[in-house]
Amino acid sequence: MGPMSAPELVKLTIDGVAVEVPRGTGLVEAALAAGIEIPVFCYEPRLGPPVGACRMCLCMIEPGPPKPQAACTLQALDGMFVRTALTSEMAAEAQNATLEFILVNHPLDCPVCDKGGECPLQDLTFRYGPGNTRMTFPKRTFDKPIPISPLIALDRERCILCYRCTRFSELVAEDGQLVAVNRGSQTQIATFEDEPYRAPFSGNVIELCPVGALTSTTYRFDARPWEIQDVPTICGLCPVGCNVNATTREGKVKRILSRNHYDVDQGWLCDKGRFAYRHLEADDRLRDPLLRVRRRGFEEVSWERALDEAERLLRDAGGRIVTALSGSETVEQAYALAKLLRQGLGAHTAVLPEEVSDALDSHRLPLSALVRADMIAVLGDAPVVERAPIVELWLKQAKRNGTRVLYELDEDAVRDADNAILIWSGPGGHAGATVAALAHRLGAAGAFYLPETANARGVCDAWAAAADAEPTNPDPVGLLIVSGDEAAANPVVRALAEQAERVLVISMFHGLAAGWADLVLPGTSYLERDGTYVNLEGRVQRLRRAVIPPAPDELAWIARLAERFGVTISPYPPTVFEEVSGIAFGGIPFGEVGERAALPRTTGTPAAVETTPEPTRPEGLRLVRYRPLFSGPAVERTPELSFQRPHAEVELSEQDARTRDIRPGDEVTVSSNGTSVTLRARLNRDLRPGVVRIADQHAGDLQPTVELAT
Amino acid sequence: MSELYGEVQKLKERYPDWHSATLPALQLAQEKHGHLSPEALRECADALGTTPAVCKAVASFYDLLHLAPVGRHMVEVCTNVSCALVGAQQVLEAFEGELGISAGETTPDGTVTLRPIECLGGCGWATIVSVDHHYRTHVKPDDVAGIVQELRDGD
Amino acid sequence: MATELVLGGAAERDLTKLAEYEAGGGYGALARARAMTPQAVIDELVASELRGRGGAFFPTGRKWTFIPKPDQNPNPHYLVVNADESEPGSFKDNEIMARVPHRFIEGCLITAHAVESAHVFIYIRGEYTGPYEVLIAALDELGSREDILGGVAIVVHRGAGAYICGEETALLESLEGKRGQPRTKPPYPAIQGLYASPTVVNNVETMATVPPIIELGGAEYAKLGVPDSRGTRVVSISGHVEHPGNYEIENGTSVRELVYGLGGGITGGRGLKAVIPGGSSTVILRYDEIDVGYDFNSLLALKTAMGSAGVVVLDDRCCMVQLGIRISEFYEHESCGKCTPCREGTRWMTQILRRLEAGDAEQHELDLLLDVCDRINGKCLCPLGETAAIAVASYVDKFRSEFQAHIDEAGCPFGDSSPLHNVLAPVALHTHSPVATVPA
Ligand SMILES: Cc1cc2nc3c(=O)[nH]c(=O)nc-3n(C[C@H](O)[C@H](O)[C@H](O)COP(=O)(O)O)c2cc1C
Ligand code: SF4
Ligand code: FES
Repeated sequence: MGPMSAPELVKLTIDGVAVEVPRGTGLVEAALAAGIEIPVFCYEPRLGPPVGACRMCLCMIEPGPPKPQAACTLQALDGMFVRTALTSEMAAEAQNATLEFILVNHPLDCPVCDKGGECPLQDLTFRYGPGNTRMTFPKRTFDKPIPISPLIALDRERCILCYRCTRFSELVAEDGQLVAVNRGSQTQIATFEDEPYRAPFSGNVIELCPVGALTSTTYRFDARPWEIQDVPTICGLCPVGCNVNATTREGKVKRILSRNHYDVDQGWLCDKGRFAYRHLEADDRLRDPLLRVRRRGFEEVSWERALDEAERLLRDAGGRIVTALSGSETVEQAYALAKLLRQGLGAHTAVLPEEVSDALDSHRLPLSALVRADMIAVLGDAPVVERAPIVELWLKQAKRNGTRVLYELDEDAVRDADNAILIWSGPGGHAGATVAALAHRLGAAGAFYLPETANARGVCDAWAAAADAEPTNPDPVGLLIVSGDEAAANPVVRALAEQAERVLVISMFHGLAAGWADLVLPGTSYLERDGTYVNLEGRVQRLRRAVIPPAPDELAWIARLAERFGVTISPYPPTVFEEVSGIAFGGIPFGEVGERAALPRTTGTPAAVETTPEPTRPEGLRLVRYRPLFSGPAVERTPELSFQRPHAEVELSEQDARTRDIRPGDEVTVSSNGTSVTLRARLNRDLRPGVVRIADQHAGDLQPTVELAT
Repeated sequence: MSELYGEVQKLKERYPDWHSATLPALQLAQEKHGHLSPEALRECADALGTTPAVCKAVASFYDLLHLAPVGRHMVEVCTNVSCALVGAQQVLEAFEGELGISAGETTPDGTVTLRPIECLGGCGWATIVSVDHHYRTHVKPDDVAGIVQELRDGD
Repeated sequence: MATELVLGGAAERDLTKLAEYEAGGGYGALARARAMTPQAVIDELVASELRGRGGAFFPTGRKWTFIPKPDQNPNPHYLVVNADESEPGSFKDNEIMARVPHRFIEGCLITAHAVESAHVFIYIRGEYTGPYEVLIAALDELGSREDILGGVAIVVHRGAGAYICGEETALLESLEGKRGQPRTKPPYPAIQGLYASPTVVNNVETMATVPPIIELGGAEYAKLGVPDSRGTRVVSISGHVEHPGNYEIENGTSVRELVYGLGGGITGGRGLKAVIPGGSSTVILRYDEIDVGYDFNSLLALKTAMGSAGVVVLDDRCCMVQLGIRISEFYEHESCGKCTPCREGTRWMTQILRRLEAGDAEQHELDLLLDVCDRINGKCLCPLGETAAIAVASYVDKFRSEFQAHIDEAGCPFGDSSPLHNVLAPVALHTHSPVATVPA
């Protein structure tokens, strides 16, 4: 990217206060810079251009007509003279009028409303509204509340028609699901035929709604705003690492809210991140260690006993140990485990979540850079939204901004663009290094690799940081350590367990661990730990314990276990971090990771190796099977999310559909080598010809090359 | 699937941006289905490459698009000021009497839907009644029986 | 009627036929315009002082100059013609399209040349099936005449029943396949209109006035009419007059002449009560205010306007509260629902008016009505809500004693002797969407 030229400043006066802001600044922001509030409802810059619908922001503005103007739709200009309700009677009257009109048909049921206490409508009415009501007619009534999905309830009477939610659906998520129907005073927010709002980002409308019209079914009537505490942490369910607040009450997580980190998430969350916190309370949550007794049975044992057993398993294996990591461990946890095993026992072999190459650091950019790119090439054919959902929103925004987004490698297009970015969304292997080398060769400004797990980068770095020798493959495996639920659910790990003499599993859930482990140690969730995660940008972010886990966290007992092998590990994440950081993260102190983590500087040298990331195109159609966003242990334990699991669909490109005369919604048979499945066709404008995609659970035994027929 | 899909593809080609084909596509679907049932909206959405919700959002904004079933014939009486001044309400009531239904309803046999409508842009030739989307001008209550008979005969 | 420029010739010939239109010199102005540079055509329009006939009365030539030159904005330019005519009282565009379609098309092609556009969209209200068929037939006849079309594609796009789609930005939204809700301005359509590209939006009559201006020359055209209101205008006269219909007049003709001259006086020789001068959205004129020129400045002096030139004449049997209800219900029904004051305010206005008519209103509610109008006025996103408030407030203002009588007599003094008694408006049939069910 070229150097940013200093923005031109304009001077204006707001309620007598002179301010200087960059040209193009909206009046609402300019006023804020002067310390003055222009009240708004519909205005939300993240939803695209202002719409000027609610008329809450009316101000007197010179030069301009002698009537109130919607300040939210205007930009600061040199010499502008703005008067808000503070200094203009006309503006005060206008804002009062708007509130009176809004309240004319509002039920005023604040005492039983979830939004009460944190409601912009309440606050603005308090400050600018009429003190009494002159409305003596029956108010407009609607059936209420109605669920618009198992996650979201809609109370139409409270809706003030600011169109934030529908604009989100139309212009941000582009899912076309939540819309306004009817006209005039009969307008209402709706989904099609009251079908559930089924889209990966639906929950954001709850946070966008400035009144209590859209509420979360999992939070409804659960807490009052003055009884709760918000813990700033990050989401641990995918490699984006959205910044969130975990709202807690009486030691339980009650909801997850976004905590806008502009460069990472812009304040959006996917529904997995927003709702899957319910897995903390899962029925099969493990609280005590389990020890296998006799052939099939398990017995709950004390932690002391469990650590004795763990020590025995480790000693008995005599170094013939393999560790399978999940990629959801904190850096500290992974490092502690690595230090214990590698330095304490000389056991270097691991099944790492994914290899993420350091070479990427030379092309490191914040995700927000995507919207400034001229062109983006998304390679690898795996659906971005299912891996790193927020990246999909950035891509959509980039496209709306005019960025050219290609889903295949057009080397000339990358070379010709001033500011090109490559994204790898496909199988792992050496892809990280490959995409970095490609970016280097073609002169792309940035390269991203989308791992499948939340902290793949941090876990790999931590594992490497504890190294003092190369791994050798033990045969047979004396002890398999399965760290975390993703590893426990991984078929490769399961297969390895079949061959291992003994298995130690760290897992949150009985359902995942029982049956094949010799010893199970209860795991904790990202919401229960302190520590750090490294996201797909390479940003080191801070996890904070929102609630206390039902069992000691991993770092605590690993430290104790390590003592028995003469390895010193601190049970405190800050101390462990400083140790890893010195080796892996350029020595950033824990304190500097901060609430809104900065992106580390670009470092490293680009890798020279480059294997072609493009799989050769086979005859027929290439099948991409993928792990859907709405899958995995946490989602499976959140019943409200089950409607979000993928339909039995096959995604194909418009061109492949046309040549086979397939139309959206058609039943098609996907076949390969004698096996076949029947699925509904979904056309995807972003999919390149020659590729079809099916979610894992619907792909049956299909081979990598398939054919389609109606 | 019906030929709607193909016809909508042609409609899309008339415009620099396919979104502009939305209204014509909905009008076409309504012609084929009589009204925009959920199935019709779904079909329209698939043909356009958008969602049924978006189609419904658009359709429900416009008075000439029907989300609920209507009769085979549509009788729309303008009751805006110019027509009302010369007796539109009496014409509307004459239709109610002749058809045995209230305005806004459809005859039980599904033949005729009767409704008042906003200004049809024929104020100088009041009262305007749009019968199956063609204007009758200078309609008086006395003309109503004849119009209804015509519709019944035409069936 | 001395000067018929827009409707001229239609009485003598069937101008819907291309041959007839050409025989009378039709498409001559187009040839002349094409021989001129676009800028020269715009200059003629500026000289003519023509102002838009759609209601906002904006100078047409000046509007065209706002279109960026192709080197300033590489996007294609669009000409969008507003044939949505839905203002109660107006039916002039209907007749223009039905009787002089080729003059209208010729105007479009001249305008396309002036603003360097190769795409014309005619957005015609869905109800106008008659004029639509005439237009399509006319375009079919032109189909092979590349000499006339000159590479310009004309697409006729049918609306589907929404008054607000006459507002230019709502029209553009609708043409883009969305709900017809107005956009905030700026950006204006000339800069970011259809598909975010430079777009001229003009009314049907404006377009049909362009060929005569090119024929006469702008300066000659500007000799007609009065200052700030040049040329002729097609006026729609309806209501209680003997001879309702469209009349092309020279601007400045008196309202009295429209009612008693062209209109032939009040039906049945009854007394005049009021005249709505420019469609339902304009301030009403009382019977004693009609000695005023039908032009911009004269009407402005009475705080009203020519609007869309729909002159509605009401006789002395009409109840002004009933008029208020019917107009308020129209706007309540047609409000797009985007901005708060219009959506909520028009509904509230109707509620208060209904109480007044029923005789249930208390004294303070009359002031409340005016206050609600006042609170709508000047706060809306587009003029729809504002004009609703202004129009209804003008009924109270000019016929206050009649409104007062409804309170004093606890009922309507006119009752069912007023032709506006108990008129059923579509808004009364508005029902909620079907009851929601719980999704699986
Ligand atoms: C609520 C509303 C309805 C309108 N309806 C129409 C209409 O039906 N026809 C029209 O030409 N202009 C209508 N207008 C005016 C248009 O916004 C626009 O000013 C006009 O089409 C410009 O064309 P002109 O300059 O040739 O008059 C309407 C404006 C508003 C606010
Ligand atoms: S004034 Fe009325 S019609 Fe205009 S934007 Fe507001 S709600 Fe819509
Ligand atoms: S905040 Fe400006 S109109 Fe809504």
